[in-house]
Amino acid sequence: MKVQYSFLKDYLSTDLSQVKLTDVFTKVGFECESDGLIIDFDITPNRGDVLSLRGLQREFQAQQSKVFKDKLQYKKLTFHKDKTIINKIDKSGCGNYQLMLVRGLHSVKALDKKKRNFLTAAGVPLIHPFVDLGNYVMLEMGTPMHVFDFDHLELPLNILFPVSKKTSFQAIGGDTKIVESSSLTIQDQKGIQAIAGIIGGHETSVSKSTKSIAVEAAFFHPNKIANQARKYGLATDASHRFERGVDPELQQRALARFLFLLKEIAQYDSIGCYEGSSAKLKPRAISLSVERFNNFSGLLLSPKKIKLFLETLGFTSMPTRTAHLKFQVPSHRFDMELEEDLYEEILRCYGYDNIPINPPKSGPVAKVIDHSVSAKLKGGLVFGGFQELMHMPFVSTETFHELNSNKWIPAELSNPINENEPLMRGSLFGSLFSAINLNVKKGHSAIKFFEHGNVFHKVKNDFAQESHISGLIYFHESQKTWSDKSFQYDLYSLKAEVLKLLETLRVKSIQLVPNASATIFTANAMDILIGKNKIGMLGEINLTSTQKLIKNPAFGFEIYPEKISTKSSDVKLKPVSKFPSSSRDLNILISQSHSYAEIETVLLNSKIKFLHSLALANTFEGKGIPEGSISMTLRFIFQSPSKSLQEFEINESMDHAFSLLNKALKAKIRS
Amino acid sequence: MQIPQDLIETAKLKLKSVQSEAEFFQLRSQYLGKKSFVISSFAELKSLDPDSKVVAAKELNILKSKLNHLFEVALEGMQAKTDVSLLDTTLPADPYFVGAEHPIAEISQRVINYFTPLNYQVFSGNEIETDFFNFEALNFPANHPARQMHDTFYLNAGKKSEYLLRTHTSNSQIHAMLREPLPLYMLSPGRVYRCDSDTTHLPMFTQIEGLVVDEDVNFGDLKGIVINFLEYFFNEKMEVRFRPSYFPFTEPSAEVDIKFGTNGWLEVLGCGMVHPNVLKGCNIDTQKYRGFAFGMGIERLAMLYYGVDDIRDFYASNLDFLNQFSS
Repeated sequence: MKVQYSFLKDYLSTDLSQVKLTDVFTKVGFECESDGLIIDFDITPNRGDVLSLRGLQREFQAQQSKVFKDKLQYKKLTFHKDKTIINKIDKSGCGNYQLMLVRGLHSVKALDKKKRNFLTAAGVPLIHPFVDLGNYVMLEMGTPMHVFDFDHLELPLNILFPVSKKTSFQAIGGDTKIVESSSLTIQDQKGIQAIAGIIGGHETSVSKSTKSIAVEAAFFHPNKIANQARKYGLATDASHRFERGVDPELQQRALARFLFLLKEIAQYDSIGCYEGSSAKLKPRAISLSVERFNNFSGLLLSPKKIKLFLETLGFTSMPTRTAHLKFQVPSHRFDMELEEDLYEEILRCYGYDNIPINPPKSGPVAKVIDHSVSAKLKGGLVFGGFQELMHMPFVSTETFHELNSNKWIPAELSNPINENEPLMRGSLFGSLFSAINLNVKKGHSAIKFFEHGNVFHKVKNDFAQESHISGLIYFHESQKTWSDKSFQYDLYSLKAEVLKLLETLRVKSIQLVPNASATIFTANAMDILIGKNKIGMLGEINLTSTQKLIKNPAFGFEIYPEKISTKSSDVKLKPVSKFPSSSRDLNILISQSHSYAEIETVLLNSKIKFLHSLALANTFEGKGIPEGSISMTLRFIFQSPSKSLQEFEINESMDHAFSLLNKALKAKIRS
Repeated sequence: MQIPQDLIETAKLKLKSVQSEAEFFQLRSQYLGKKSFVISSFAELKSLDPDSKVVAAKELNILKSKLNHLFEVALEGMQAKTDVSLLDTTLPADPYFVGAEHPIAEISQRVINYFTPLNYQVFSGNEIETDFFNFEALNFPANHPARQMHDTFYLNAGKKSEYLLRTHTSNSQIHAMLREPLPLYMLSPGRVYRCDSDTTHLPMFTQIEGLVVDEDVNFGDLKGIVINFLEYFFNEKMEVRFRPSYFPFTEPSAEVDIKFGTNGWLEVLGCGMVHPNVLKGCNIDTQKYRGFAFGMGIERLAMLYYGVDDIRDFYASNLDFLNQFSS
């Protein structure tokens, strides 16, 4: 709510500077910002009662420990019940309904400059003197008013929910709205003339030729107005106030005020004031235990002090037979239900900053929740030279499907912020590819990125969320040093990087199993398995799924940290041999149809005596090697835990190793 | 014959400061040359009686042998150094990558690091959530205007339409209150979403919220931990202001401002005592337990901490920007 400082200062009869005045309101919960000489109050949704000068005045006076006194001038009006004017009222939606008929209006002029400036500063457009006056009284008192052209109304009015479902209605401004059955309406004998508390009708709106008006002031229940305006694509000053709650005891006074000010801008022949029959809201009362309040706040306030604070805010202290205090809630406070609501009011008056501060408390010893897998992986990546990135998770339909190795059903937003990106990501790679393009354009030629975040997909009528850590390595130019050393990054460099990362987690039995079918990668890709559990993938990136700037092979991996258990990662020590190890090489010729993994499986799954470890020392194809074969030099390390090995023992093991390879894979000795 | 006790030690010390071979040989001649104490002392043995002569000769021989060994080792060391071809050690290192955490991850961790020694458990929670956990259980009734404070992304979910992207991390608090034993001290970090985008708002941002449910906690405890945390985070004594505000899930609610540089008061945090409706909804006895909660936007803290003006810089993947956080 925007108010001119000069206007507010006069209204509150204060000499405080603009800065000091905004400070007073901010400290009691109404944050303000100054835009030049206009103060913009940020009124929270629970405090509709402060959306008026009257509401601001009440808070200001309470802050000065003064009980609120209404300063607005008007002459009390008498209201009559007349079924020919107001006939039926749906009491579930309308708490009270008043209509003031003013006939024979003439000599109409605009509001005075001060009032017009006040309205303009508040962001309320000037429309017609009678409408402007209604808006002015709304800003003064907080209750919205609607002005009908009386000559276009066919009385009596009914305040009812529409019976037929698709009634159309032409709103002020000319737009046609299909009225929802949940919207309370003001109907005359011709049909709907306004959507209650939201907007009036075009046909009955005032114009230059208006001679008589019917001014409406009513209380509509907040829960019947809430969210209604949005259904029509509207947000009006009236709906904003009604859905937050308008004081139900103000309406007749507001009409009296309207009439009082009307005399400043027009002359009229006669008036009539009417009220529909309605049920008054029951006054609400809340009990308060002083002891409980003091425990809650850490203060030691007396009952007298508590009463004083609440009474300045309009609460009435009620007699009780118990030790508790009891307060009647003023009619304008829709946010008061519980004892704790009163606590807030007392503390606002006391000042939050005056509440004593206690030293921080700690909780009981926390149950250990292992977040260490992600943290360790991220730490390892940072140490390995990867820069962490973070991205929005919204992707286009094309991107989702290009990277959809798992054939997931996408999680789709019904109201995306960008209609080209309606899906939640199913992979982190899309954004990483874009990031490579962006940085290559900026001249970065060697890139190592990773991202840690969730990916999403739909599972039947529910959604799944999985945590991924994905990384990319890309060299746009080959990396050469001043000394002409060059760095070749290839699939095996990536394998080393990923294995190093996982082994620092003490994850045992990691297997890399070829998987040529993932859309993100080329055929040179692998699943990362722990036992049968897939914990990630790595491989050469399929460039068709990236964007055009990437011209060289890129390598990537994704790891699913939630699928890695570190439970079995405790260190189990084995005795270390004190005896020397011996190394032997074996040159074999083997068909290229066999993979190195097969050789490893044959050798490591058979119990070769004293074999400590196995490595591939060299491979060779070409001259002297038969077509379709490859030469491999296997390096065996032998060691015994209990003795120095003799030559013959090592030779026996080597013979055993070769016979296994020969039998299983038809390997031959390369001479 | 008087043999100086510190002869070996002084020789060792002098050897350490030797810079060249010439200096080395000069020093060796001082200790082992003709005019040195050891060698000249051998000449003096003649004048001793036979018994003293035997003792002194033995001591001198040991000394000579120790000195010889000392100088031999030193010489080997010197020669080893001079055998290596001399490199220009000022030439650049081979290329290397310097990695870094994302600044938002780093700031999140900085926040978590304050609370973990106080035994706050960390729960990350679901980003796709139901209306119940994001709103209803947090005392946002359907159609309540408070829901308009949260521009919400909804998901197409077939028959059910209540799935949404969480608008705050408070959903994790409901899950934890329903599941964990009391007392509960917890943090819920994570990403949250609102349909909003400009220089100070993004449709996705990071929040960390804290929740305590315990017997006998009061508003003074909330103030204490918030102020202490802010002073830890900014590593200085802070002027902190609590002003009344409104969140449906706390009563009373407060916004917390800090005096920051020349910018005057800046809002950094929201907090309050947990609303009794929220506790009751999680089957917590409100006569026995009370709670307080606080929440902060990590991007905002990061912007203040690092002096970043545009929130979008954090998510633009620009290495020129991000590389600055690695040093």
